[in-house]
Amino acid sequence: MRRTLDTGNAAITEGAILAGCSLFAGYPITPATEIAENMSRRLPQVGGYYVQAEDELTALHICIGGSLGGLKTMTATSGPGFILYADPLGWALGSEIPLVVVNAQRVGPVSGITGAPGQGEFYMSRYPTQGGNYETIVLAPNSVQEAFSITVEAFYLAERFRMPVIILADQLVTDGWESLSIPETPAELEAMRLKVIPRRVKEGPEFYPCTDAIDIPPVVLGHNTGAACSDWTPTPEGYDTEEVDFQHQHAYRLIYKVRNNKDLITRYESYFMDDNPELILVAYGSPSRVVVSAVKQAREKGWKVGALRLISLWPFPDEIFKVPAKYLSVELNYDGQLVREVQRAMPAGSEVHFFGKCGELPTVAELEELMQALLAGKGIKARNWEWEAW
Amino acid sequence: MARRTEVLVSGFGGQGVVRIGQTLSTAAVYQGLHTTMLVSHGTETRGGYVRTQVVMSPENIDSPVVENPAYFVALSKAAYHRFIDLVKVGTVIYDPAYVEPDQSRPIKQVPLAARDTAVQELGRELYANAVVLGAMARMMAGLVDKENILKAMLERIPRFHAENKKAFELGYALVAKE
Repeated sequence: MRRTLDTGNAAITEGAILAGCSLFAGYPITPATEIAENMSRRLPQVGGYYVQAEDELTALHICIGGSLGGLKTMTATSGPGFILYADPLGWALGSEIPLVVVNAQRVGPVSGITGAPGQGEFYMSRYPTQGGNYETIVLAPNSVQEAFSITVEAFYLAERFRMPVIILADQLVTDGWESLSIPETPAELEAMRLKVIPRRVKEGPEFYPCTDAIDIPPVVLGHNTGAACSDWTPTPEGYDTEEVDFQHQHAYRLIYKVRNNKDLITRYESYFMDDNPELILVAYGSPSRVVVSAVKQAREKGWKVGALRLISLWPFPDEIFKVPAKYLSVELNYDGQLVREVQRAMPAGSEVHFFGKCGELPTVAELEELMQALLAGKGIKARNWEWEAW
Repeated sequence: MARRTEVLVSGFGGQGVVRIGQTLSTAAVYQGLHTTMLVSHGTETRGGYVRTQVVMSPENIDSPVVENPAYFVALSKAAYHRFIDLVKVGTVIYDPAYVEPDQSRPIKQVPLAARDTAVQELGRELYANAVVLGAMARMMAGLVDKENILKAMLERIPRFHAENKKAFELGYALVAKE
């Protein structure tokens, strides 16, 4: 095991290399630039390819080409680049092309603030392209170590589900420095419960079967196939079609391969959930770490609080919201995104509250004040426009 | 050591604030501790404000936010005033070249002439961050070993090792006089 101090960006790079990524195409953007930098240094060392694309649109199209050529591929960006992935992500989702997309969320909208964390693409990661008729897989690390392991896992899920997997990180995870352990032997990899599967190749003649089954190898063009791959609805053999029946079969597969195998994707952590929490804090990414600190400290005082920390965001883990309680969603945005899913998923008899901040983490002290108010049956108010003077 | 030790370092861009944080965090790794370090800064690196928040603990670290620093290193007036309220029981280490401390506060505030020492002894303010690290090594004795901080510093600073080492020892001695 190699123990070091490094950033989430470095951890994602090492995770990708370990998972067998051999092509990275990207366009640099804070706070994900270091992934491109590190990849440009690491990939040649393992016989891989690094491409600096002219923009994000091209970058993801290059990854698609690499994946259809049999390589494991990855790209990385932040919000302003993620919107440009809309077109190629549609291709990757529709044509079932495995690859990994990293979004290190920063403050938005538009270019916003570069070196500060935000969580503005929660819904965009669910609907990253037009047309509907698909599900996405989105994973959200909250530490440097988890950025490493989630990257390995993202490649694993991408191969098994034959689709793009999105890593929705944030600036504090990618730019933050933290102690990091990197496994160096198969036994150490196993001990971290990480799995790597090599790229397999789908044999014809049926490349797009109408089934919710996973573990169907991806299409690799030119390998024992005459399969075409385009942006049109495919027949099972991979040819373009305008038939609605084929479209229905294809959509069924894109949706239900994820929904019916959700248990392989869903990951979360719960704190004090089996000890009658009256108030449950919900968060993902870097704010979840402050939430966990705050809830542990509150429990030491005897407060009836709990926490749910989401690791997989989509498909949304409705089933973990079982306890009727007050829910407080803590997010790095002011408009409230995760809170809407919490409101939808929570059981009858619950109520929902929201605390948003953007550009920096909430503090334990702030959360303590909010928990105290909510436990006492008082409301909370948004007040973060009252910035203190520098 | 205590369950959790928080260190806040802030100043303006170009002073080596990030380097100080990286060094302390790297030393914590050598010490076998868990550690986190957050960096925040304005768009411009030079002249803007910079802050690093370092947490070290023998246990897993949940929140990486420094809310109750054991050590607050203030290298600019703005940084001092921005974060001084966070210090309740910790120690403030300030550079008198930039900071005039509020002596009415019931906390321990230690002057550290990092800039002047670097300029007078080594001819360049560039070495002020190594002076700070030497002083931190002295103050953090028992938490992180001096050797680990020095080793981490020389790893994180690629050039001028002899000068930086000298600055480090000067800083170590400066605080010893307190």
